[in-house]
Amino acid sequence: MDMQRLATDFAGIKMATPVMGASGTFGFGVEYSDFLDLNHVGAIISKGITPLPRAGNDGVRIAETPSGMLNCIGLENPGIDVFLRDILPKVRKTAPGTTFIANFSGSSVEDYGMMAEKLDVDGVDGIEVNISCPNVKEGGIVFGTDPKAAAAVTEMVKTHTSKPVIVKLSPNVTDITVMAKAVEAAGADAVALINTLTGMVIDINSWKPLLGNVTGGLSGPAVKPIAVRMVYQVANAVKIPILGLGGIATAEDAIEFLLAGASAVAVGAENFVHPDAVVKVAEGIDTYLEKRGLKNVSELVGKVKIN
Amino acid sequence: MATKKLVETGNVISNEELSADVNAMVLECPKVVELAQPGQFVMIKNEMGSTYLRRPFGVADVDKEKGLLLLIYRKAGKGTNELSMLEEGAPISVEGPLGNGFSFDNDGRTLLVGGGVGIAPIIYTARKLGAEMAGPKPIILLGVRNHKELFWSDFLEDFSQKLVYTTDDGSYGRKGFAIDAIPDILKAYPDIKHIKVCGPTIMMKGIAELAIKQGLECEVSLEKRMACGFGVCLGCTFEGKSGKRWKVCGDGPVFDAEEVFG
Repeated sequence: MDMQRLATDFAGIKMATPVMGASGTFGFGVEYSDFLDLNHVGAIISKGITPLPRAGNDGVRIAETPSGMLNCIGLENPGIDVFLRDILPKVRKTAPGTTFIANFSGSSVEDYGMMAEKLDVDGVDGIEVNISCPNVKEGGIVFGTDPKAAAAVTEMVKTHTSKPVIVKLSPNVTDITVMAKAVEAAGADAVALINTLTGMVIDINSWKPLLGNVTGGLSGPAVKPIAVRMVYQVANAVKIPILGLGGIATAEDAIEFLLAGASAVAVGAENFVHPDAVVKVAEGIDTYLEKRGLKNVSELVGKVKIN
Repeated sequence: MATKKLVETGNVISNEELSADVNAMVLECPKVVELAQPGQFVMIKNEMGSTYLRRPFGVADVDKEKGLLLLIYRKAGKGTNELSMLEEGAPISVEGPLGNGFSFDNDGRTLLVGGGVGIAPIIYTARKLGAEMAGPKPIILLGVRNHKELFWSDFLEDFSQKLVYTTDDGSYGRKGFAIDAIPDILKAYPDIKHIKVCGPTIMMKGIAELAIKQGLECEVSLEKRMACGFGVCLGCTFEGKSGKRWKVCGDGPVFDAEEVFG
């Protein structure tokens, strides 16, 4: 890999490549150390962290769907205090050179401010504000479907951190550009899209929903065209950089997102299937850039030709 | 402790029917085989198939010299039906070895109990106890549906002191559940100090409670839906009796019975 071709500055966050491991699919990054070289990971985006430990949802949490999967984990995580005390030092020891972005959510606007402040520490290179988890009642998506609430959370976070702030948007809205514009106006440094699409599977033998939480978030290749379309729409609506994700499995998929207007991408569900995917996608982008004689990945961003 | 894990493209060496709905697949994947321990599992992806996620399969047995891995699976859905159609030479992606397997102790005899396709990991475990370790050979108790599922004997006979079946319909051996046969076995083999179980939850729960009551060390091998197999998706977590949260994939699949059912 030509690291100069891939070097990316995303909203002030410096990364070795434009390809990150998406929140909720990449653990805290160190779990992947047997499968890939963490130095070739653009950024580790952590599992969603909350103010208190969460056990997550009861019952079945994973279901296979056509070209994808549904999950309703429910933000299981050890909480911010354990993250800062035990996990972050381990990450920095195992992957000292890898950019680390902390994803977090809260149950109130004040929670988000408190979390942003606690995460304003060395070793965290940027923060991703989750206002779009479809699997928890309090917090998460409540803020992600109302532009005023999303703006309030963004403002609160911005006043409590020195880190670049990425706001992760939900696709489960009528017009995602309204949400993107709201958080941009509130000071977000970047947006990430898309989080999962709400879905449901019913067991026709028992007549019951397959998932313990009734509905779950759809991810995997099935959602990719929707995500590309939304990135394209948002790129035409805001000036801040976009982290594009949703169903990326290959370099070709990632390049679609870049052309649609994403400045960087993240691999999600595919990490479960091919745990070296983040690096494989970066290598494929590098090959593509080389073949086309492009000097840096930024030369692809938003270059889709519409007439 | 969990071993190093890797992804390897293996080859199908054979893929045969053992009964109407159970298949035995032998894969050549020497790197994974070299590291695999009894009770660990692999995540399989048939890259020619139509399903998206990998599927977990317990390591049924290994031939370390030849680099061969045995998987025994029930054709239960689209993924396993497609798997059953793979022919010799077909490539298949093997991720593993994953999780922590059974623990081994030279002190006393072990009773191995398997139910349904949960019997699969009992084979490698029995090989270790019955052919590789110095202590007494294990007693093996298998709960199956009927007399058409006695093919397990071919894999287990050489490693066992005694092989006992119970069948749901009484068509072979004792009629009833595996647990019903345990009191007689414990009477006949008072040197049994350990019980290791892999099978349906209800079976493991009953046997775990019996073992705890009798003061026998007991390990159970759990199965839960998972997307990754190495601790990141959190699809397979549960709360143990101690209040600690565990991942079936990374902390298990083998757990001390007291922590799960105590």
